[in-house]
Amino acid sequence: MTATMRRDDVETRAPRSVRRLLGRPPADGTAPPPRAPRAPRVPTTRDEPVTVLSTSVAMISLLCLWMVFQLVFLGGLSHGRDQDLLYRDFRTQLASAIAPVGPVVPAGDPVAVLTAPRIGLQQTVVEGTGSADTLAGPGHLRNTVLPGQSGTSVMMGRAQTYGGPFASLGSLVAGDTITTVTGQGTTAFTVLGVRRAGDPLPQPLAAGSSRLTLVTSESSGARTDLASGSVLYVDADAATAFPAPAGLPASVPDSERPLATDSGVLPLLVLHLAALLALTLGIVAARQRWAGPLVWVIATPVALAAAWSTTDVAMRLLPNLL
Amino acid sequence: MTRPTVRLPLCLLSLAILLPTLLVGALPALAAGEGADKSGKGKGDKPAAASTYSATKTLTRVFRNADGTTLDFPPNTVTVDVDQTRNLRGRQRVNITWSGAQPSGGRASNPYGENGLQQEYPVVIMQCRGTDDPSLPLAEQLRPETCFTASVAQRSQVSRSDAEASWRNDLDAEAGDRARVSGADPFPAKSECPTADIEPFSTHLTPFVAADGTVYAACDSAHMPPEAAVGAAFPANEIAAFTDPDGNGSVRFEVRSDVENESLGCSEKVDCSIVVIPINGLSCDVPPTETPSPSSSASPSAAPTDTAGPTPTPPTDQNGSGLSESACRKGGQFTPGSSNFVNGGVDQAVSPALWWSESNWKNRFAVPVTFGLPPDTCDVLDPRPPTGFYGSELLAQASLQWSPAYCLDKKRFKFQLNQMSDDAGFKLMQAGGGAAAVVSSEHTSSGGEKIGYAPTAVTGFGIGYAIDRPDNAGEFTDLKLNARLIAKLLTQSYLGSALGRGHPGIEANPLGIMNDPEFIELNPGLSEISQEAGASLLSLSNASDIIEQLTDYLTQDKDATDFIAGKPDPWGMKVNPAYKKLKLPRDEFPLLDEFVPTTPDVCRTNNPAVYFTQLAAPVTSLRKVADSLLDGWPNVQTRCDTGLATGSYKLGRVDRQSYGARFVLGLVSLGDAERFGLRTAALETDKGKYVAPSTSSLAAGVKLTTQDKKLEPFALDQADVRTSGRAYPGTMIVYTAAKLSGLLPEDATKVAQFMRVSTTEGQQAGSGNGELPAGYLPITKSGVTAKLFASAQAVADAVEAQKDSKPAEAVEEPASTGEVTSSSAAPPPSSSAGPVDSAPAAEDAAVEAPAVVAPAPALPASAPVAMPATGAVSSGLAGRLLPTLMVIGLLGLGAATGMRFFVRPPRRRQG
Repeated sequence: MTATMRRDDVETRAPRSVRRLLGRPPADGTAPPPRAPRAPRVPTTRDEPVTVLSTSVAMISLLCLWMVFQLVFLGGLSHGRDQDLLYRDFRTQLASAIAPVGPVVPAGDPVAVLTAPRIGLQQTVVEGTGSADTLAGPGHLRNTVLPGQSGTSVMMGRAQTYGGPFASLGSLVAGDTITTVTGQGTTAFTVLGVRRAGDPLPQPLAAGSSRLTLVTSESSGARTDLASGSVLYVDADAATAFPAPAGLPASVPDSERPLATDSGVLPLLVLHLAALLALTLGIVAARQRWAGPLVWVIATPVALAAAWSTTDVAMRLLPNLL
Repeated sequence: MTRPTVRLPLCLLSLAILLPTLLVGALPALAAGEGADKSGKGKGDKPAAASTYSATKTLTRVFRNADGTTLDFPPNTVTVDVDQTRNLRGRQRVNITWSGAQPSGGRASNPYGENGLQQEYPVVIMQCRGTDDPSLPLAEQLRPETCFTASVAQRSQVSRSDAEASWRNDLDAEAGDRARVSGADPFPAKSECPTADIEPFSTHLTPFVAADGTVYAACDSAHMPPEAAVGAAFPANEIAAFTDPDGNGSVRFEVRSDVENESLGCSEKVDCSIVVIPINGLSCDVPPTETPSPSSSASPSAAPTDTAGPTPTPPTDQNGSGLSESACRKGGQFTPGSSNFVNGGVDQAVSPALWWSESNWKNRFAVPVTFGLPPDTCDVLDPRPPTGFYGSELLAQASLQWSPAYCLDKKRFKFQLNQMSDDAGFKLMQAGGGAAAVVSSEHTSSGGEKIGYAPTAVTGFGIGYAIDRPDNAGEFTDLKLNARLIAKLLTQSYLGSALGRGHPGIEANPLGIMNDPEFIELNPGLSEISQEAGASLLSLSNASDIIEQLTDYLTQDKDATDFIAGKPDPWGMKVNPAYKKLKLPRDEFPLLDEFVPTTPDVCRTNNPAVYFTQLAAPVTSLRKVADSLLDGWPNVQTRCDTGLATGSYKLGRVDRQSYGARFVLGLVSLGDAERFGLRTAALETDKGKYVAPSTSSLAAGVKLTTQDKKLEPFALDQADVRTSGRAYPGTMIVYTAAKLSGLLPEDATKVAQFMRVSTTEGQQAGSGNGELPAGYLPITKSGVTAKLFASAQAVADAVEAQKDSKPAEAVEEPASTGEVTSSSAAPPPSSSAGPVDSAPAAEDAAVEAPAVVAPAPALPASAPVAMPATGAVSSGLAGRLLPTLMVIGLLGLGAATGMRFFVRPPRRRQG
């Protein structure tokens, strides 16, 4: 509201609190003393190379740390909220018997609830395994059957970022139980084992049974847990299966394969960056009219929100299992 | 640490710049997925040699007078020739010529179907089921009832007054056919055909008997076969053709198989005939009344005006009236060679409408024709999965005849040609999606693997045209084009119509090629009336080796290159600025113009569109171009209709051109041109030398080709073509390209077999199964094509051997099939080591997987199967991202802080 007023109006009519924000001494009922002319800008050495370098380095560092912060903490928050909403949504669908049974489900819709008690995993699975889909929770590979249906169902989830739902997948051992709930019912899978590159593939699936393959990433070699560059599989079988509808898509785009990235998001990213730029210019302009604290009070949440959403979009350029 | 006035704007700005830079820069190369379009089209076809037909008949028109004398008109001795009658295919055009016929008058602008009725003494040509052999059972005999017409008016005369019932006086008709209502037995009931039987009017119906036995009464449009509906899929093919004043004529008649016309039902099993009926005028019987007409003779060519004299009794007798008798004796209102573009009435007795009347029908020439196997033969008769070859449409007509020779032979495989751009087919072959590619030039092998190119056919492209000479003088048959004219067409430098006049830079250019002085000089005697179609050469919108060669031809011509570079031609015509200095050759001709005309036309104002693009409107396949030429229907999309009821507008294709004023140009393959009877232009090679496609000019072209290395394609240098003067610039060699290593053994065998069979048995010219259709130059062991033959055999051997390079590659190729689904189907051995992005089509494993270990269910659980190892999928980006970000962040922060505090003291704040 204030932001739309011109300075003169504010000076004569704005309430005390606003005037305080404007950096004025409280008026005591009389006309405020004329504002002291702004001191001419003192020439500074700000533009010296060292300052420039220091500022740039600081900016790059802030950017990097912001991304880490977003991936690890803010992402976790957003993942938690997404899961709450998805679970609520899917619960309702199950209760009203309208939960999807395939073969084609809109990407991003909840399709199953996945539970692995031993590692404390309980997640609502969404359709699609693109980088954007796995931000909300584990994704179901679109050209495989839904879990519990006859055939093999593949799910991919993130290991570190955005809540890292599949972080402890590697601690599952043969014999553990994984349970899925879909629109067709509950299926209990028995884990066959953890599989990494070079391990033999599981035996061909017997007709009329169902297999679940969970896919995530893990660090290879002696790197820290943060460096998850290779793929880890967990296979689990169930002897019974629900019938699978025909008409599965024959293949999925490359962006939905394990550790794939989604370059299709670049146009959207450009829009977000443009919004950020516009916000920046807006703040610069506002700074010339209003006092710093006022501008920052208003701009900070907007800037944070814009930065968050931009980073979310940029995350889609990163591998989907990270 | 940072002062309160931290520059948030600066901070965000750098965020905005750095974020994408960092991320995009760090991304691994994003492999673009190759959408392999595997929409396969079934091909197939049949046997025997093209044979011709020729017959001569003497046709006489006879009037029997009341006094018992007869008046015989001078007889016309008509000879009809047909150039091909065996193994015809749907929409194929055969050339029919005749001589000695009665000259026609009153030429219609469109002689096809109903539009051709208002002519006099035409030659009616139609397609009928059955053959003209009285010894056959009735069902296999040719009758008027089995002749297809696209409208009622062409086969029935419904409720005519006496003056329009001349057939009732036909001298040769049986008594039953002279009755007031005749033709159908039983005659349809009033409830079915309410308009057919109305006293005192006369009606003759010629019902249509469909192939399945259904009888359509043909009394109105509701009682006609579905193919005769208004707006049916194909335009009428029956024609009332025009005979010139010398008694000669020719037409290219399009035959329809049961694919195009199911009711007519001509196929390889059902014999049909092309029936040619030169209309010679009805022969007439005596006037029916007891009172003889005093003057009942008519002059042969002038319309007799004498009506039946005193006819005291009303026309209630069996044989029609005096009025119908005098109508029968009319001789035509139009002079030979005249036009009837306004569709004025003609004398019924000499019009094509009564072709079924006995005295016309007895004059028929019934040309027996046989049809080839339909294109889906292999799909129907061979249950084996097809082996797809992918690529050039140049091979389309040959593969149509070849494929039955493969699929119907148990020792061979099921060959299928799937048409797509050469490059797409080549890439698909490389990726393992297709056994072989069909291309016509060398393509870059991306994987570094060696590819063998086996010459398979010699054919080429042509500039097809359908151009009529003015004043009904027939089709133009001698078109000559040079490179600059083609460049003018391709660069959209003609204006099309007044709408194009506003185009900046080329306001003074001619509207169409027919107005271009250069074209007129080269092809004199054509109409100079502008048509929008004269501004465009219908061409391909997608990439093709054909475009590459055509544009290469342009680059070898100095005039053409100068023109494109911006130098006006001697008559002042300039290149469209949008195409100025366009780089040639290229395999895809772009649409670059952006000119949207301003016009008061409401429809166009509401639908602004790039006008020159509407003129050019390129299509995706050469077959579509051929259809456009066949139908005389340019693909010019400038029509703008306003729906008055809805107030909406729509853009669309212009109307078919009227017969006699056609002008369409298009890029066609020589195979299509031969099958559909399209004419192709002679192209300039050396100065003043024009070479048309023919076996000799193709052979001269082949002679000029050179091969760099063994197993590689032969290149045709257009510079050589120019100096040769005899070689056709559009000569193209079609190759079967296959990998020399890494191909599955069974595929390698099939491809090698195809390479051998197609260059031996497949090179015998003919229209039968496995033979080489017209439009292709046979590759033989000796002569100019010997080098192609030798190369094909060498490549076939190399493909079969599959040991060009390390066998390791053979394993790696299919190994790139992915990982994820390895669990869903029996997985192929995967050893791909690259980042996941480079793994093509993981899910398509089943397509080629060599180790398609049968998807499990067959095996009992007791026997463990040796399963391949899980493939490695890794991502350096994923592995390093977080640590790198943290390290950079922390180090950078430390460095920045350090610089602030140690390199220079923090500045104090200004008061």
